[in-house]
Amino acid sequence: MRTLLLTGIFVAVLPIGCAPFPDGPSEDEAGSTNVNTRLIVESVQVLGRGNVKLSDPLRSDLRSVAGQNFDQTLLDRLADRIKRELHAPEVRMHVVKGDVPDHVIVNFEIGAEREKRFDLDLARFLYHSKQGWSGQGHATVNIHENAFSFGMVSDGDRLNERYAGIEAGFERKHVGTDRLQLRFDFSSYHEQWNQATLIEAAPDDIYRTRTQFAPTATIVILEPLTVSFGVDFARYRLSLPVAKTESSNAVVSTLRYHQRWGSAGDRGEHDVRASYSVRAGTHFLESDPVFARHEAEARYRFRRGHQDLSIGFLAGKISGLAPLFERFVLGNAETLRGWNKFDLDPLGASHVAHGSIDYVYRGFLAFYDTGAVWDRPEEREQKQSLGLGCRKSGFQLAVAFPVRTGVVSPVFYAGMNF
Amino acid sequence: MRLRTIKPWWVIAAFLSGMAFAMWAEELVLSTQESRLEFSAPRVHFLVGKPLERLRNASEVPFVFKITLWSGTRSHLLREVPARFLVSYDLWEEKFSVTKLVTPRRTASHLTDNAAEAWCLQEMAQDVTGISPNEPLWARLEIRAEDSKESGLPFGRGNITDSGISLTSLIEIFSRPAASTQPHWSVETGPVTLDELRRSRRRG
Repeated sequence: MRTLLLTGIFVAVLPIGCAPFPDGPSEDEAGSTNVNTRLIVESVQVLGRGNVKLSDPLRSDLRSVAGQNFDQTLLDRLADRIKRELHAPEVRMHVVKGDVPDHVIVNFEIGAEREKRFDLDLARFLYHSKQGWSGQGHATVNIHENAFSFGMVSDGDRLNERYAGIEAGFERKHVGTDRLQLRFDFSSYHEQWNQATLIEAAPDDIYRTRTQFAPTATIVILEPLTVSFGVDFARYRLSLPVAKTESSNAVVSTLRYHQRWGSAGDRGEHDVRASYSVRAGTHFLESDPVFARHEAEARYRFRRGHQDLSIGFLAGKISGLAPLFERFVLGNAETLRGWNKFDLDPLGASHVAHGSIDYVYRGFLAFYDTGAVWDRPEEREQKQSLGLGCRKSGFQLAVAFPVRTGVVSPVFYAGMNF
Repeated sequence: MRLRTIKPWWVIAAFLSGMAFAMWAEELVLSTQESRLEFSAPRVHFLVGKPLERLRNASEVPFVFKITLWSGTRSHLLREVPARFLVSYDLWEEKFSVTKLVTPRRTASHLTDNAAEAWCLQEMAQDVTGISPNEPLWARLEIRAEDSKESGLPFGRGNITDSGISLTSLIEIFSRPAASTQPHWSVETGPVTLDELRRSRRRG
């Protein structure tokens, strides 16, 4: 009943939520009212910071402006993009006469870097009609090149447990060289379990608290390829009549690739992200469970004008006996949307395969997910789901339907950055 | 006791200097042209300061004009007429171009700064058909330069990053100068009747 009510609200709210935000001048303001549109851009320069590193698509877009008519809206957008990419407090555009009559030179001047001493981030906020509320926020203090963060989280979506607690971290982005970064993450959570999980799990699978400490180093091998390695020390207190603490200490290694090319204008922008990670719990680190967890993830995104297409792929395998927080979950706000993760596998699984296609046009979102989780090959059953909604500026509002015969049970979710 | 005779030319000089002072002091000047009430503000210059700086940087600067008329008494609002103008400055010709955002659009180009300002005011002229010639009128002209980058959306472009909503970004939005600190000008005049304006036009 509650889901039907939420779906009704969603249907009513969707057209309002998806109404296009004003991205530029209104209809009656469109067109060339600026007399300088007759002038030709002679050259474009980015000034003000010695070692400016812009992405290839942005550099390409800046280059393509030269030779075109002066377009203030386009140049303002480019200034915004430079500001975002460089995290610069201010990017000023200065336009001066060029060397040739009726030509102008455009200079983007990057303001002096003002260190964000203190910042608060609402990193994730989500309401899911099956899993309830999830939220994550951080406060960060920057002292020179060191970032200290402290945050709180309550997440009932990502894993089969609801974990709530504190997170703290330290990061140094340059250790002697731009190619080496260091991170230390600490977290302490209290867990809550769904009844379906408690019924399925063995008594010594369930834990009440979990504490993790993970020092990692990241090396830029060859841009855009990076490798991270480190260890993850986890201690968790089991929910047994006699209090017992176990450790899951794993060697962690991740290879990442992220490349973008093209531009979001006429030709379209392509974005490819891929990663492969291994987590190996070993007796060498005095880990109680011994396991090896492999996960491969890839996402391709293509944007052109108001269209945004995204194709994602996830595969994973765990050998050995991993604790529940390491196991794979499908059926949340990111995977097999529309399915309930507790119906698919209340304990999580040792194998996963998942694919998704998202298409957004002017904020309207349509998606298709397919995937399976299993422990034994005979348990493998492919599930599918479809959904509609809207996505704009990090916010997402959607209703998703599992594709199955019988009862139609939609899932509603709304939030940002998930 | 002997009364000193005041010579007529002293009277004329005093009258003319008084008129001149009144003209100089009056910031919003009304005049009539047939059934139209026209405005001029010789002492108001809005193509100055920050807006002019933006114009000289090839940017287009929107200006919002508003004419408010009261009739009979100061509290009886007759009409409020807003209009929007887009001003730009040709970097090579060093002349202004102004477009009034109405349908169809009206544009004037190759103007000096004073001519561009005067053109905007000329475009604000009002039809006063139906207003009694003896009815006192008050008028106010307000001009405001708009910041083209103000989106008005709390979570507009670029304020949400991959890592979420940043407090610093929100502070930046809300610490922008409030509307009251935008470049703006306001001048008033009245009471005056249409008859008086027509008589002064015939005299003038």
